[in-house]
Amino acid sequence: MSSGKDRRDAARVVREQIAREKRRRRALWTSVAAVVVLVIAGLIGWTVFRSQKSDTFTAPPGANPPGTGIVLGEGPVTIDLYEDYLCPVCKQFQQTSGPTVNQLVSDGKAKVVFHPVAFLNRFSTTEYSTRSSAASGCAAQGGKFREFSDALFARQPAEGSAGLSNDELIDIGAGVGLNRDDFGSCVKDGTYKPWTEHVTDDASKAGVTGTPTVKVNGKDVEDRSPEGITAAVAAAGK
Amino acid sequence: MTVTAPNTRAARWPAVRPWLGTVARLGLAAVWLVAGGAKVGDLAASGRAVNAYQVMPYGAATVVGAALPFVELALGVLLLIGLATRLAAAVSAALLVVFITGIASAWSRGLAIDCGCFGSGGQLGVGQAPSYLPEILRDLGFLALAGFLLTWPRTPVSVDGWLAGEPPLEDEDE
Repeated sequence: MSSGKDRRDAARVVREQIAREKRRRRALWTSVAAVVVLVIAGLIGWTVFRSQKSDTFTAPPGANPPGTGIVLGEGPVTIDLYEDYLCPVCKQFQQTSGPTVNQLVSDGKAKVVFHPVAFLNRFSTTEYSTRSSAASGCAAQGGKFREFSDALFARQPAEGSAGLSNDELIDIGAGVGLNRDDFGSCVKDGTYKPWTEHVTDDASKAGVTGTPTVKVNGKDVEDRSPEGITAAVAAAGK
Repeated sequence: MTVTAPNTRAARWPAVRPWLGTVARLGLAAVWLVAGGAKVGDLAASGRAVNAYQVMPYGAATVVGAALPFVELALGVLLLIGLATRLAAAVSAALLVVFITGIASAWSRGLAIDCGCFGSGGQLGVGQAPSYLPEILRDLGFLALAGFLLTWPRTPVSVDGWLAGEPPLEDEDE
């Protein structure tokens, strides 16, 4: 009498076991699929990043031997300046300490290696950091790096804006005495964009994580005031 | 009348909990989509933000920085549609623990950096104070969402539920 019920119970247990097994397998496969999705996403990121990188660059005339910055002057002490043309604190630094740095260079006490890094592309809608840095390479080609660089800080656009257009950059270049045709085509072609990338990468590798960063003979200078830089150069020159 | 209040609340919990899970799932999905979306436009900057923590060589930091935004976006999509919710919650929790550890270690080493959690990142300018504590508390909040989903992964309106073809069971054995 009870055997029928037992058989039904046994059948139900088996059915439940099969269902449970099915659920388990499905959960396993969805997990495997999700892991594959995550791994593929990571690989896509790496591939995209690699495809964005340029393998070769040409440093503009006036660059240091590794091609990571433009050299101004030839004093015994080296002042490395890492600056982004969009960075407001860099503009302040140029205004307060720029004349002191120039004086140290013209006195023959130090040389400057200016690294126009593009850290702040996110803060303009047109990658102004990269475009302005590449344009400064064009200015170096025309022998007017320092003049163009000063003019860029003087006309610095606001963070979050579109920045200056290429035409405006070309006008500024022509204003400091660069040949409009040569400079203009160099800016429009983005000739030195791969160089900008090289400069920026090298700065990161050197442990530079923000702008402005000032180094004297390779050592970070915390006090970026005119007095601080004069003191650091004097100490390094001894 | 007043005696029944806690009882009804206790009775409501099983009914409310799955929907709380849906809210947690969509909330965490939004976190990942926003975090990944903010970084995906400038992968080199993302690598620099990782490098600013100074916990790995520059080459490794660029790889992590490039891969991370896409992994975050993928996690966001998985959570949004509710596929493999428990796994996505586990990976989320693991990532958040890594982030919290990273921020805490930057704090303890006296680095002045932005966490780079939602874009930007890197060293702060002069006069900018790092906000490590709010960043850690925020990440702990996200970790709580992930923990909820890790405990109760089955939520309404999810692909998981649709695949299982049944309403969430009380005695799940996943």
